Amino acid sequence: MSFKLIFNVIGKLLTLEAMLMIPSLIVAMVYRQGDATSFLYSMGIILAFGLPAMLFLKPDTRDVRAKEGLVAVGLAWVLLSAFGALPFMFSGATAFYWDALFETVSGFTTTGASIFSQVEHLPRGILFWRSFTHWVGGMGVLILTLAVMPKISGRGSMLARAESPGPTFSKLMPRMTDNARLMYAIYTVMTLILTALLLLSGMPLYDSLIHAMGTAGTGGFSNRDLSVGAYGNVWAEMIIMVFMLLFGMNFTVYFRLLRGEGLKAFRSEEVRAYWLLAIGAMLLIAVNVLPRFGNFLAALRYSGFHVSSIMSTTGYVTADFTLWPQFSHILLLLLMLVGACAGSTAGGIKMVRVMLLGKASLREVGQSISPRKVRLITLDGKTVGEDTLRSVLVFFFIYMAFLLVGTMVASTDGHDFVTCFSAAASCLSNIGPGLGLVGPVGNFDIFSPHVKVLLTFLMLAGRLEFIPLLALFHPAIWKKGH
Amino acid sequence: MRIIIIGDGKVGHSLAERLIEEGHEITIVDRSEAVLERSVNTLDAMTVKGNGVNADTLTEAGAQSADIVIAVTVSDEINMLACLTAKRLGAKYTIARIRDPEYNKSIPFLMKELLIDYIINPERIAAQEISRILRYPFSGNIETFARGRVELMDFRLEKECGLAGTALKDLYTKKPNLPRVLFCAVQRGNEAVIPKGDFVLQEGDRVFVASDVLTITAFFKAIGKNVSGIRSVMIMGASRIAYYLCEMLLQMNMEISVIEMDEERARQFSEMLPGANVILGDGTDQELLISEGLENFDAFVTLSGLDEENIMAGLYARHLGVRKVIVKSNRDNYLELLGAIGLDSAVSTKQATGNAILRTVRARGAADAVAAIERLYRIIDGEVEALEFVVRREDSFIRIPLKDMSLKPDALIAVIVRFGQVFIPFGHDVLQEGDRVIVLIKGGGVERLDDVMETVKA
Repeated sequence: MSFKLIFNVIGKLLTLEAMLMIPSLIVAMVYRQGDATSFLYSMGIILAFGLPAMLFLKPDTRDVRAKEGLVAVGLAWVLLSAFGALPFMFSGATAFYWDALFETVSGFTTTGASIFSQVEHLPRGILFWRSFTHWVGGMGVLILTLAVMPKISGRGSMLARAESPGPTFSKLMPRMTDNARLMYAIYTVMTLILTALLLLSGMPLYDSLIHAMGTAGTGGFSNRDLSVGAYGNVWAEMIIMVFMLLFGMNFTVYFRLLRGEGLKAFRSEEVRAYWLLAIGAMLLIAVNVLPRFGNFLAALRYSGFHVSSIMSTTGYVTADFTLWPQFSHILLLLLMLVGACAGSTAGGIKMVRVMLLGKASLREVGQSISPRKVRLITLDGKTVGEDTLRSVLVFFFIYMAFLLVGTMVASTDGHDFVTCFSAAASCLSNIGPGLGLVGPVGNFDIFSPHVKVLLTFLMLAGRLEFIPLLALFHPAIWKKGH
Repeated sequence: MRIIIIGDGKVGHSLAERLIEEGHEITIVDRSEAVLERSVNTLDAMTVKGNGVNADTLTEAGAQSADIVIAVTVSDEINMLACLTAKRLGAKYTIARIRDPEYNKSIPFLMKELLIDYIINPERIAAQEISRILRYPFSGNIETFARGRVELMDFRLEKECGLAGTALKDLYTKKPNLPRVLFCAVQRGNEAVIPKGDFVLQEGDRVFVASDVLTITAFFKAIGKNVSGIRSVMIMGASRIAYYLCEMLLQMNMEISVIEMDEERARQFSEMLPGANVILGDGTDQELLISEGLENFDAFVTLSGLDEENIMAGLYARHLGVRKVIVKSNRDNYLELLGAIGLDSAVSTKQATGNAILRTVRARGAADAVAAIERLYRIIDGEVEALEFVVRREDSFIRIPLKDMSLKPDALIAVIVRFGQVFIPFGHDVLQEGDRVIVLIKGGGVERLDDVMETVKA
């Protein structure tokens, strides 16, 4: 275990975080709502920790092994959130540190769950920072570090692996640095296109940026109390709806499109299943809510938006879906668990894992009928290794265990089952709104501090897909000589 | 460069590791997921699971835009086919490892028909390495040109050589019996010099000379450099490496004894190499070794298939006081240990293969996409380039005597190979179509033979 190496990486990361506050600082200075100083103080404190770690802790090894990768990623996200919460405290937006931490983790993990019942009175710099954390956290902070600070990328693929969602990590290019840069290039260009489209639809520049960043990271923070619904702008809703689904798609597709593969780029079982499930769910809910809206197009407008918002784990809302029929609730709840594609900015169990679980279950049934038959599980024509399958099964168990224990702990506040269960699921899948009291019009301030801390932990665990965070608690990591 | 390595075995993995360090983009292809997993965890490379002969797999690995494809799987056939497929997909340069001697007989045919640019034979490479250690234990570099006919080597000039203080142009008048080699480059301190006629050698210079294999050996002998003075070699095990090694050593008129346990192999070996003295017996049998006079041999080389046997026999020879003992080991991790127990000359086939491929890739890196250059080496920390060209009809200086050409100040035409004959050019010599020319130049930027010339006199 090389702690020098880990803290050197984290030092670089913190320095980068200070730099990332510059856009918010500029916004704060433009709107002059008194929050600029809170960024300056925060940057000063972060640099005071980050710079010495970066400059004076020289890594004693170049090998980033699996263990170092996991611990670095786990610690990095914890510290990044801890320091990222400072502007909320300095600006007085939150009175308690756990609230600020909840909001920051919700930002970086692209959850979008908020403890603010109203946001429109908050300074614009703070709101910008909140949404900016979505954008950075969506693609991954360590991947960003790899992209801009190539020095640690010698063998840094362990870092990216530990941070990237999905059962397997596939590189698009041989060198990790190139890989990280390419991902961020695609991500940035798509975000800019989205911003431009939102501007065209009539949204103001500031709001366009906020919603573009929230959509790109599949986060869901808005600068309006009523989220996207506040604008009543069909075009903006449609644009955001499509882009939420696009950002929930595996980024390999865009890479293959760039490589000129045309429609072949979409030839992936996961991507196909993702679109089928999305469209199917949209139609089912539209039929279910038809009586509320009167005509099918209006029903589809709302069901489409919320299905893509929930599936891509973004969490923007245009209507209060807690008022919809039970069937819609349950379907949305299931979509919350599934999430979007691996290799995207979205959360949840991920489409590909659900498919592998289904295939493994079918195989198990077949195996009991003809036990000696050799059955391989394939995905896109390729055999899936048993190791991958095992990790998917274990992931599913851990996910369920966290969900159920999380529900139990949340219930100590005495709220109803739907509220507790959906709050845990929403945090674990990094969505944002849940059902019941934490639905589109509710917020997470209803919980007491200990539940907020638990939900904060769930968000981090879900974003990092458990292992990097759980590894921090494994005794072998902290023993000498390992 | 974009390099694809097919086969993530020992050679493939260590190659990937070293090439990444040199800044190349590496993609590794292998059939085993478990093996690739290890590589993903330790190397900054992309991995693709699949068979290297499969066009889809190669496309996924990016063969269309690859600069070099290196096939080092366990199977010769897969290596050949992978190279062919990759080349057809658009790879620029292909390297295949081919072990079976049956294939090695038809290498030129394979290279032409399967579009393989470089075939590496690990056994031959290992034999070359052993031969080098036996002949020139003092030389750190040995590069070969013109399919191994010409060698370029370095040595440190010492007092005993008797060359210091003489200008190069007077060297052969002073010492008429000195075998003709060309003084290509000199490293003095940190500076690289391409020596001209009036250059005076100094003690302590690192000197690079080139000539054909026999002459260069004679030259080193004449200047007293062949300190090892090895004239007789006993080899244990009539393996493939032994075959190639004997072939090389016999060319240099060394006395060779080969000990082989298997009667059939011993017989075959004797048939193929009548010049070698083949002894039927167990090479680990100490009585046999003594009765065959091991202590009177200058060198003992152990080439059996078992590392442990090789090491024990080597230790015994050392104990008897044989001057040079070379041990072959298949396991790289033994190599360090062997030095500690006094067997300082150990050769591993895998390491030798890796080194040879690495040299080719480096040469390729500099000669990238310049078709006229056959081979390129960089010596003296990359300051001097040694290039091999084939003279073509359209070259402007054809049929002009060398003395009438004006070369760039830091360039030198070192050796000409014509119809398989190697000679050092003099002023009245002319270049002909089809000649292979070896040129040394300080700095780089040479793409065609014309680039070496300043102007051509009328």
